[in-house]
Amino acid sequence: MSLLDIDERILQVVELVDLRATPITDLKEPDEDGVTVGILEGGINNTYNEEVAIRMRERCKILVALGDCAVFGGVPAMRNFCGAEAALQRAYVDTESTDSEGRIPSSPELAEMTHVRAVHEVVPVDLHIPGCPPDADVIFYALTELAQGRIPDIKGENLHWH
Amino acid sequence: MIKLTIDGKTIEVQEGTTVLEAAEQAGVYVPTLCHHPQLTPYGGCRMCMVEVEGSRTLQPSCTLPATDGMVVNTSSQKILDARKFVLTLIFSERNHFCMYCQVSGGDCELQNRAYDEGMTHWDLQPNWTPFEVDASHEFMVLDNNRCILCRRCVRACSELVGNHTLGFEERGANSLLVADYGVPFGESTCISCGTCVQICPTGAIIDRQSAYQGKETEVEHHIGVCTVCSVGCTKDVLTRDNRLVRIEGEWDSAFNHGLLCKKGRFHPLEDDRPRLLTPLVRKDGSLKAATWDEALNTIASGLGKGKELVALASTHLPAEDLALFKSIFADDLKASLVTTLEEGAATASLAALADKLGKSFESGLDALKDTEAVLSLELDLVDEHEVAGFFVKRQLQNGTKLFVADSKANQLAEKAKTILPLKAGDEGAFLISLLDAVEKGSLDPALNETAEALKTAEKPCIVYGKDFAVNADEKALILLLTLAEKLNAALIGVKGNSNSMAAAQLGLEAPFKPNGATSAFIALGDEEPTQKMVKALEEIPFVVAQAAYSSQITGNADVVLPVTIWAEQSGTYLSLDGRLQKAVKSINPPEGVLTTQEALLKVAEALSISPDTDWKASLMARVPTVEIREA
Repeated sequence: MSLLDIDERILQVVELVDLRATPITDLKEPDEDGVTVGILEGGINNTYNEEVAIRMRERCKILVALGDCAVFGGVPAMRNFCGAEAALQRAYVDTESTDSEGRIPSSPELAEMTHVRAVHEVVPVDLHIPGCPPDADVIFYALTELAQGRIPDIKGENLHWH
Repeated sequence: MIKLTIDGKTIEVQEGTTVLEAAEQAGVYVPTLCHHPQLTPYGGCRMCMVEVEGSRTLQPSCTLPATDGMVVNTSSQKILDARKFVLTLIFSERNHFCMYCQVSGGDCELQNRAYDEGMTHWDLQPNWTPFEVDASHEFMVLDNNRCILCRRCVRACSELVGNHTLGFEERGANSLLVADYGVPFGESTCISCGTCVQICPTGAIIDRQSAYQGKETEVEHHIGVCTVCSVGCTKDVLTRDNRLVRIEGEWDSAFNHGLLCKKGRFHPLEDDRPRLLTPLVRKDGSLKAATWDEALNTIASGLGKGKELVALASTHLPAEDLALFKSIFADDLKASLVTTLEEGAATASLAALADKLGKSFESGLDALKDTEAVLSLELDLVDEHEVAGFFVKRQLQNGTKLFVADSKANQLAEKAKTILPLKAGDEGAFLISLLDAVEKGSLDPALNETAEALKTAEKPCIVYGKDFAVNADEKALILLLTLAEKLNAALIGVKGNSNSMAAAQLGLEAPFKPNGATSAFIALGDEEPTQKMVKALEEIPFVVAQAAYSSQITGNADVVLPVTIWAEQSGTYLSLDGRLQKAVKSINPPEGVLTTQEALLKVAEALSISPDTDWKASLMARVPTVEIREA
């Protein structure tokens, strides 16, 4: 969502690219015959995230990890310190605001929780853009460079992890 | 001299210079993490690796002595790769996720190094072992999850402060920063000087008072002298939006080199006494809010002169204010008594001796930093004037011998080689036996040992406190001078508050007696009055109090003028060893509150007095016990 922080500059980006798929367009997945750039937000938290990452890697020439979750694992990775079970117990049962009916959701349709990982721990990543969130200027710089066929060098003023 | 080449630049350096120091002199930046200029080089983190021609492996420049003809490269690809690798290993060892951390965003040296190396991510998976957080300490939180095992805090605790509280248990990745033998930090031997929190490069030790209150990029710095005691450390007051955020020691200070004690660093930010924000005037038996004009008119009509008047000032006030106070109350109003809340206890006998001899006889505190033997007379440097105590304690591990003579329980005595019994009032007899022991030896083994150590030392130090200054008579003081001369010893009198010596120079040192006066003027500043003063002033019918905080004295007063606290005023302070230093205003006072200086000038105007404002001339008018110099 931080992509929208670039405000009206998004129009300049759209002019430079052929936007093939996003989670909010009709087409949710990149074309099977491949695209040039794929951007992945979020860490790898469950089996579904793994599938998405693998598919993105297969179909994108350049795979970009955007934001601290994709780059490092981010805030969800805090659960690695206690384990998924303890985190679920705390979130759904032990939380002070939960009534006595609190229970951990279980459905065969839910993806299976895994150890939280950065994207590059699952598939190779070509460009990391850290930040929580990355600054709008950094996102705009990275997108316009990628759109013009260059790999941006994230350093100096553009490099922030927090 | 040694000649070497660093990144193509040839420079000459002194023998004993490390490659890191040589690089600095050559203007070549080498990144570091575990290194700190105030500490002995450690070589723990491997951040400062350099390539030396002819050397098989990369070398840590912080511990590598420069040698003649050395050719050093600090920025080859091999080095850049090694730095990134070192950082990756550190990041992957513990919880170094910046988005959860207090120091992220400019205050973390680890994060800054990673930014410098252009690291967008870490290649290694982090280790997800959690460590317990120790939040038992009043002022600091110790979080091993953020620790990079650089041991700066451990080294500072022993090398700089001489307290030896922090240490490590276990080995390698399991290493744990602990206090003493693993007791909760808050129950340890920690003396809360806060040097560890100031020197920690990451968020492993954080300061409770300032956590999340402002990052380096958001705060302003105000560097000036600490006004808590007479040691006169340089401190840096960090503020944000007219709010005090944190107090730090100034690493670049040639005197305290970054050190502060809890009274200078943490206590000033804990002050929760109720503030006075408007003048108060007693009407029909109770204090009512008034305008400055009303308050000043009441003072003009109620304050006596000459015999009717006594005046007291705090020795925490700037020298300018004390001189102005003296000019108004002693020179113009001829009050029967003009003195300070300390009543000259820590200075009067010594100042009288300097007057008599017509010369100074005390030395600078620097003598205490590098000496082979210290004799402490009726002074507890663990309890008071703590930073001067650090100078002594940190040398003990290098063989400096400490001898403590006191009539009271003394915490410094625990660290002493020998404790000498001294009865209050017997200072003269004690000094005679010590002098005898120095000249001819003594049958008393403790005295003999002390005499021997003081004689053998090249420049021994004799430090003495307020009790000694009060108890010792002139004869005893002359014996002290004879002893110092014989031993080539430095004499250091620690005096009391931040401006005790300035008060002594101005002759504000008489013991306080109400003398049957009918009115009193007391300039408290931000000082908390003692019960003795509260009682003494109760006898006086008309009392004017200038104060920052509400106290029993202001509660009993007839007129109260609200004045600034230490952080809201500038001024000059004279340390115990004669360093004349500036205190710097860090925040603006609340609306309607004046500085003591401004309030005194208003009082003078209301009384139609034009006081003398040449404070420096007044300060220099008396022979000081120790030479006064601008620092």
